[in-house]
Amino acid sequence: MSYLKSRSLLAAIALAFTSPLLAGDDPVHERHELMEGVGDAAKPIGQMLKGERDFEAGVVMASFETFAEAAAEFGSLFPPGSETGEGTEASPAIWEDRAGFEKALATWSEAVDAAIAANPQTVEETKPVAGPIFNSCKGCHDDYRIEDE
Amino acid sequence: MSRILRALVAVAVLAMVAAWWITRPQPLVAADLPDHQPDASAGERIFWAGGCASCHASPVQGKRAKGDDKLLLGGGLELDTPYGIFRVPNISPHADDGIGNWTMAEFASAMQRGVSPDGRHYYPSFPYTSYARMPVEDVMDLKAFLDTLPPIDGRVGDHSLGFPWSLRRGIGAWKRRYLVVDPVMRQASPTLVERGRLLVEGAGHCGECHTPRDRFGGLISERWLAGAANPEGKGRVPNITPGGKNISGWSAGDIAYYLESGFTPDFDTAGGSMVAVQENMAKLSAEDRAAIAAYLKALPALD
Repeated sequence: MSYLKSRSLLAAIALAFTSPLLAGDDPVHERHELMEGVGDAAKPIGQMLKGERDFEAGVVMASFETFAEAAAEFGSLFPPGSETGEGTEASPAIWEDRAGFEKALATWSEAVDAAIAANPQTVEETKPVAGPIFNSCKGCHDDYRIEDE
Repeated sequence: MSRILRALVAVAVLAMVAAWWITRPQPLVAADLPDHQPDASAGERIFWAGGCASCHASPVQGKRAKGDDKLLLGGGLELDTPYGIFRVPNISPHADDGIGNWTMAEFASAMQRGVSPDGRHYYPSFPYTSYARMPVEDVMDLKAFLDTLPPIDGRVGDHSLGFPWSLRRGIGAWKRRYLVVDPVMRQASPTLVERGRLLVEGAGHCGECHTPRDRFGGLISERWLAGAANPEGKGRVPNITPGGKNISGWSAGDIAYYLESGFTPDFDTAGGSMVAVQENMAKLSAEDRAAIAAYLKALPALD
């Protein structure tokens, strides 16, 4: 075995062991970041609904788009083998009841699609379409998230 | 020698009599109740504030009851604690298996003195230490509301507790120290804070989880609502005083909105046991939630 070959073999072995720790290949980290982004996007809508912030249709729509992208990707970030690690709050129920989890994600996705289609221009128009989205957050957290603290 | 022995026996007998007297259950009787016409609709508010369903609604397929199933109070939930397993009883208005045959005084005794109709102490897993602070009229209204719910068949088995916790009579001594009717927050309070106090310290029994306990299982009032070990497993129940890191940055409006919607100011959702509590709080009026928030903001800030 040449020096070069053994070096690339070593590199391959090293990569095999370290790659789960890289961000691009780490579903626990990725889904956490994705959820953080969803929370950040929800915040301005909530503040507008609470009357703590002036209504801006563009900000609301941008948040809805963020939700839509996240909803499309989120389900793929719970592959077998990612049940634990990095303080994950994912409940074992996600893997035990995959169909139920997918259904909860679909509920979220549908609520977001309906909100985008409604294209609300006032707080009054936002309330009825944001409500089902927020309820879908809560419903899925209740069944498929565990308390870590 | 025989005189010393006789004296010792006499002392022992006296001590036993004293212990028996100290630990005796002290129920309420009909004459203790005010002249109040129980109002079932007012009682529904107390039912949700008190979260009766969170423990007494029968689990559905191993999961906590949701929606209208919260009104089916057949019990059966098991609380796995360091003292052993507490089994939550049937409090539906079923005449034999539930509390349908209880008199108002028997119900008030259970709620505010922790004494059963047959004159035994209840374990404080049933939070009568909080309910003792409720206006007795609210307790009477609650009974009227419970009487409107469907009767459920089936009695729940006894608790399975380790020694010495299995000695029920000892709770009488525990109550002498920990069953305190006085408010925790004694300072003169504005009306809204006072309304919140009744809900938080009384029916809502928030302190039962959010206040730490001493080694006898009594609440440490100096650490009122300052957070505690989770009684249902790992982790901690948050500090809800204006101190600490959990909700010190929340406005009164944030607290009220959280109780209404389940969303924190960062738009995370309630988790763990608080999900059921929040869903109950959502059924109260906006004024009640504002009162709870006002009370929490008025608490001494504890780290």
